[in-house]
Amino acid sequence: MRVWCWRAAVLLAALLLWEGAARMLNPILYVGPSRLPSALGRVLATRDLPPLSGHVWLTLGEITAAYALAVAGGLWVGFLLGLRKTLGRIYEPLLAALYAVPSVVWYPSLMLFLGLGPASKIAFGVLLGFFPVTLSVLAGIRQVPDTLVVVAVSMGAGRWTLFRKVMLPAMASTMVGGLRSGLALSVVGVLVGELLGARAGLGYVINYAYGLMMTAEYAALVVLVAAAVLLLDGVGSVIEGRVKRWAG
Amino acid sequence: MTTPAPISVEGVSKRYETPSGPVPAVEGVSLTVRPREFVSLLGPSGCGKSTVLGMIGGLVRPDSGRILIDGEPVMGPNPKKVALVFQDAGLFPWRTALDNVGFGLELLGVPTARRREIALGLLEPMGLKGFEAKYPRELSGGMRQRVAIARALALDTPILLMDEPFGALDEQTRLLMGEWLVGVRRRTERTIVFVTHSLHEAIALSDRIAVMTARPGRIKDVIEVPLPYPRALDETAAVDLHAKLWAQVREESLRAMEGQS
Repeated sequence: MRVWCWRAAVLLAALLLWEGAARMLNPILYVGPSRLPSALGRVLATRDLPPLSGHVWLTLGEITAAYALAVAGGLWVGFLLGLRKTLGRIYEPLLAALYAVPSVVWYPSLMLFLGLGPASKIAFGVLLGFFPVTLSVLAGIRQVPDTLVVVAVSMGAGRWTLFRKVMLPAMASTMVGGLRSGLALSVVGVLVGELLGARAGLGYVINYAYGLMMTAEYAALVVLVAAAVLLLDGVGSVIEGRVKRWAG
Repeated sequence: MTTPAPISVEGVSKRYETPSGPVPAVEGVSLTVRPREFVSLLGPSGCGKSTVLGMIGGLVRPDSGRILIDGEPVMGPNPKKVALVFQDAGLFPWRTALDNVGFGLELLGVPTARRREIALGLLEPMGLKGFEAKYPRELSGGMRQRVAIARALALDTPILLMDEPFGALDEQTRLLMGEWLVGVRRRTERTIVFVTHSLHEAIALSDRIAVMTARPGRIKDVIEVPLPYPRALDETAAVDLHAKLWAQVREESLRAMEGQS
């Protein structure tokens, strides 16, 4: 309870500081929190901007597609490389090297190959979300204690039983962390993709507002996106906590 | 025809491939264990005692020789006849004590209610009443090992193989667990093979002690322990036995140490 009070106090202090700073500076460039609600109202009323709901749905759709593909691909590659030791020895260093490259450098090629539409955003979201999922699966497989495997095998567990009753639960807490970071990065990928070049979507609207120097609307949108991402991550953290408590 | 021995190890050898070439772990080990007998494998660390146990349990395949359980060759793990306990309790952290004990039964397809009944029946005499719903992290080391033993006993196999089951416990807990195991043994009438490097443990628990040589492990000597239970380790007979065992083990331990340097 006291922690929550402190958190609220810190948030309030930050808002006050922001407001104070913004009032002392050029109001065209610097927008204080007190101007955000009216700006948000204007954004929603779509007087000067394209209608928001269509863009929001498009972005949500892209994120969903990107995350689903990142998870599917990440789990598949992770388990393939983790369980087939030879494949793992060949490809894991490649994967690590690829992960070390800042992914943004790939985005221009994605736009060239896939165009300005949703496909390049989804592809970028997949690219960013894929690595944490894959790497968490690989780390998870390595973390399964040998003794647990030996115990299960000595009691007659076959491959599938071993996977379902020992490996998956033993990997759960590592994997759920990777799935959570993967989601955050898929969101980043789609939004960055839209900001860097798109004809629709939330990132496009943000970029549009910014381009027209509608700073208050721009700030309102950014805060909105931040709140949505925080909410999503909050849900993720609750799920992760549950899984970790269960998997011990 | 006489009934075959529960465990018959016939001239088994095993070598392990390592980056610096093959290392012979066990060479020409033969041992017959009689029904309801408690046999200890005693030897310096790295002498292949665990490998012998793993081969009896069907976890390790011998390179040559064969192992018979009730006269039938071992082809792999056989949870209907053989249960194993390891030095590391190896409890599943996401399962309660009760569900850990029921794990093997679950794999054999025993229904939930019956599993529960069996597990409760095992935990209570082990002094774990009231801990059924606890997770391994909430239990002490000794309790965890008892749950692991209960998990093996739950399979109700005629043979129990124990690989230094008390090796990770402190001295006091270890002595108490030994006394407790003598009681379990009397109640359940199993054939037990017990790997240890503790002379005291071997003398306190065994009907026979098989002393193994330093690597590659062979059986150096098999010694009968004709003492009644409960055993007092300060009795003359036990002290004499200890001296005799120590002479043999000391020689092998020295050889093991020289082999390492």
